[in-house]
Amino acid sequence: MPLADARARYPALPAAEADPQADFRLLETIADWCDRYTPLVGLDPPDGLKLDISGCAHLFGGEAALARDLVDRLGRQGFRTRVAVADTLGCAWAIARYGDVGTLIHGESIERAACVSIVPPGKVETAMRPLPVAALRSDSETVAALAAAGLCSIADLADRPRAPLAARFGEELMRRLDRAFGRIDEPMTPRLPLPAAFAERRFAEPIVHETCVLDTIERLARQLAQVLERRGEGIRLVQLALFRADGVVHRLEFGTGAPLREPVRVRRLFEDRLAALDDACDPGFGFDMVRLAALVTERCDPLQIGLAGGNAANRAEELAHLIDRLGARFGLRRITRLVPQDTHIPEFAVAAVPAHAARSTIDTPSPSSRLRGEAETPEQDSLAPSRPIRLLERPEPIEAVAEVPDGPPVRFRWRRVLHEVAHAEGPERIAMEWWRDAEGRTLTRDYFRVESKLGARVWLYREGLYGRETDRPRWYLHGLFA
Amino acid sequence: MGTAAPSPRIQHLRQTLAEIDPSLGPRLAGEERLLALAAPIDAVLGGGLACGALHELAATAPAHLAAASGFALALAALAGESGGQTLWIATDFATAEGGGPYGSGLDLLGLASTRLLLLRVPRAIDALWAMEEALRCRALACVIVELSGEGEVADLTATRRLSLAAREGTGFGLLLRHHAVALPSAAATRWDVAAALSEPDAFGGLGRPRFDLFLRRNRRGSSGRWIVTWDPHERAFCAALSVAVAETSLHRSDRAPLARTG
Repeated sequence: MPLADARARYPALPAAEADPQADFRLLETIADWCDRYTPLVGLDPPDGLKLDISGCAHLFGGEAALARDLVDRLGRQGFRTRVAVADTLGCAWAIARYGDVGTLIHGESIERAACVSIVPPGKVETAMRPLPVAALRSDSETVAALAAAGLCSIADLADRPRAPLAARFGEELMRRLDRAFGRIDEPMTPRLPLPAAFAERRFAEPIVHETCVLDTIERLARQLAQVLERRGEGIRLVQLALFRADGVVHRLEFGTGAPLREPVRVRRLFEDRLAALDDACDPGFGFDMVRLAALVTERCDPLQIGLAGGNAANRAEELAHLIDRLGARFGLRRITRLVPQDTHIPEFAVAAVPAHAARSTIDTPSPSSRLRGEAETPEQDSLAPSRPIRLLERPEPIEAVAEVPDGPPVRFRWRRVLHEVAHAEGPERIAMEWWRDAEGRTLTRDYFRVESKLGARVWLYREGLYGRETDRPRWYLHGLFA
Repeated sequence: MGTAAPSPRIQHLRQTLAEIDPSLGPRLAGEERLLALAAPIDAVLGGGLACGALHELAATAPAHLAAASGFALALAALAGESGGQTLWIATDFATAEGGGPYGSGLDLLGLASTRLLLLRVPRAIDALWAMEEALRCRALACVIVELSGEGEVADLTATRRLSLAAREGTGFGLLLRHHAVALPSAAATRWDVAAALSEPDAFGGLGRPRFDLFLRRNRRGSSGRWIVTWDPHERAFCAALSVAVAETSLHRSDRAPLARTG
C-alpha cells in the first residue's frame, strides 16, 4: 500500500524512512548477543538469524527452554521474536516464517509455546508438508510459476516425481527441497570465526566490579589452559566477550607475542587493558555472562626451565610477556623494534616493526654476540660514528652559511639558536633512488657531520647539487649525534 | 611454561646449588651489581653505577639533548653486554621534538639495534607506568624513559615508586629529561650531561663522542665533574679527564650565550 493511501486512512500514521543499513547493524548486534547460546551464529538478512545449537541446548535445559529463554530475553529488550528449532536449517526457516498458518500445524508433532515452534527429530517432512511453497526459500518467480501450475504446498511438490519438476522449475528448487528435508547437507557460515577453544561462565546476578570480572577471567583462563595443555597449544589471539545484562556485548581482543597459557598472565593482560579502557567498557547494570575464547592457538611445547632460574629461556618468556602487556595497554603497534631495510636513504634505512612480529633472538651472553655486533656495523672512515643516534621525523630546514657553495657550513641557525661550526666532515653524497622520483624528491643530498663550538654534533645536508640541480640549495638538519 | 610459583622442593634444590656455585644463587636483597664506567667516576660512585636503581640524566641545554641520549644509550650498551635488552620509552611529543632512535647510528655507537625495544606512549604518565612495569622484568638490562620538557610528572613520589620497582628487577632505569630541573627526586644519582668538544682525528675530522658529565647528586658519595670519551668499538668510557680540565671547560666563553638563548 502506498504511503499516501495509508495516510488517508490513518492521518496520525508515523512514517520513517527505511534504513536497511541500520537494520543490518541492529541484526548484527542481536547476532552478537545470540553468541551467548552458541558460537555458531549466522546472519539471514534482512530479519533472520541462524543458530546452530547442536550440543548446546542441554546447557540451557533443552531446546524448548533455550528457545523460550531467547524469546523472553529478546522480548524484554523490545523485540518480537519467532523461533523454530528443527533438524535442518531449511525446515527451521520455513516453520519460523510460515509455521503459524493455522490449521497446517499438527498439534501432535509440534510443540508450540508463545512464539516458539519445535519440530521433534525425524519429523521434518511431516512438519513441512502443509507449508506453502514459498517456505522453500525460492524466489518469487518460481513461487508464481508453481502457483500457476497448481502446486501450492510443499506436499504437492514432495509427492510428485522429481524429474519433470526439476526440468520445469530448475534443479535449484529440488536442491532446496532436499536441503529442507535433510537429504543433502546445508553448510552454514558462522558470522564470527569459530574459536579454537573457549570457556564461559553465566551469572544469575550480573557482576559489576572489575575484580569480579578479572577473577572470572582468571578462572576461565584456567579452564582454557587445561584444554589447551591437553592439545599442547598456547593462545596467540585471545578474545574476551562481556555480555551485558541489557544486551550490549563488549569484545576485547588482542594477540600475544608468544603462545600463552598461564591464567595469571592472561588475567594481567586484561587487567592492563581494562585499566586503559576506562569508560569504553562500561558495565552498566552488570555482565551476566563472560566468555574467554582462544581464537588462534599455536603449538606450545613445555620448556625445560633451568634449575637455577633466570636462564635465557625464562628471560625470553618474561620479555614476551612484558611486550604483550605493554601492547595490551598501548596497542601492539606502539611497541616496536628497529629493523634495517635494504635502502640507503637515511629515513627509510631503518623501519620500526611491531615487536611481536619482529622476533628477536635473546642471545645468551657470549663473546660471539660482541663479534657479530661488530660485523654488522658498516666500515668507518673516521673516529666518529657516521650515522646519528637520533633521526628527526622529518628534516628541519635551517639557515646555513657556507664559505664555498659546495663546502660545509660555517655557521647555522637551528630552532632559532645560532651554532658556530668547529669541525665538519663531508660531504657524503646520497642520491635519491630513481623510483622515488615520482614523489618529487629527486634532489641529491650532500650530508655533513658537523660539530658546533659547544660540542653539539649534528647531521646536516644540503639539498640539491649546486648549479646542476638547483641554484639555491636549501639546508636541512636531519639527525643528532651523541 | 611458567615459573610463577616454584615448589618448595625446587627452592631447596636451588639453595643446594647455590652453595656449590654461588654465581647461580638467588640474589639477596641489598646485594646489587655495579656497572663500572671509568675509574675516577667509579671511585665516586662506590664501584660503579648501581643496577637495580633509578638514575636521572638531564641535558643542560636543548642542544645537548643528543649528548644526554648518547650517554644513556652508551650506559645501555654497557649494561647490555650481560645479555639483557634495552627498552626505550618516549612520549610522542618527545620523539617529535628530538627525533627517534636511529638503528644504524645505534649500531655504530655500540648498542646493537636488535637488542633495543621502543615504546611510544601518548602521555608522560603512561611512560612512567610502562617504566615501572618494565623495571620489574628481568630480561631488560636498561629501561630508558624520555620525558620532554622538565618532566614534571616524575616527581618525588613517582621516582620513589620507580626506584622500588627497579630494586625488584635486574636492570637499571634511566630517566632522561630534556631540561635539568630542580624537582626533588628519589633517584640514586642525577647527572647533567652536555656534549664536549671532541678531540679531532689526525685529519681534522670529528672525534669519538665525548661527554661533559656533571654528577649533581649522588646518594652514596660526593658529586663530581668529568669529561669522558665513549669508545664505540670497545664499548668503554675511556680517559676521563681530571676535574681540573673540566673546570676550565666550564668557564669557556661561549657557554653563556647558549644558556641564554636555549
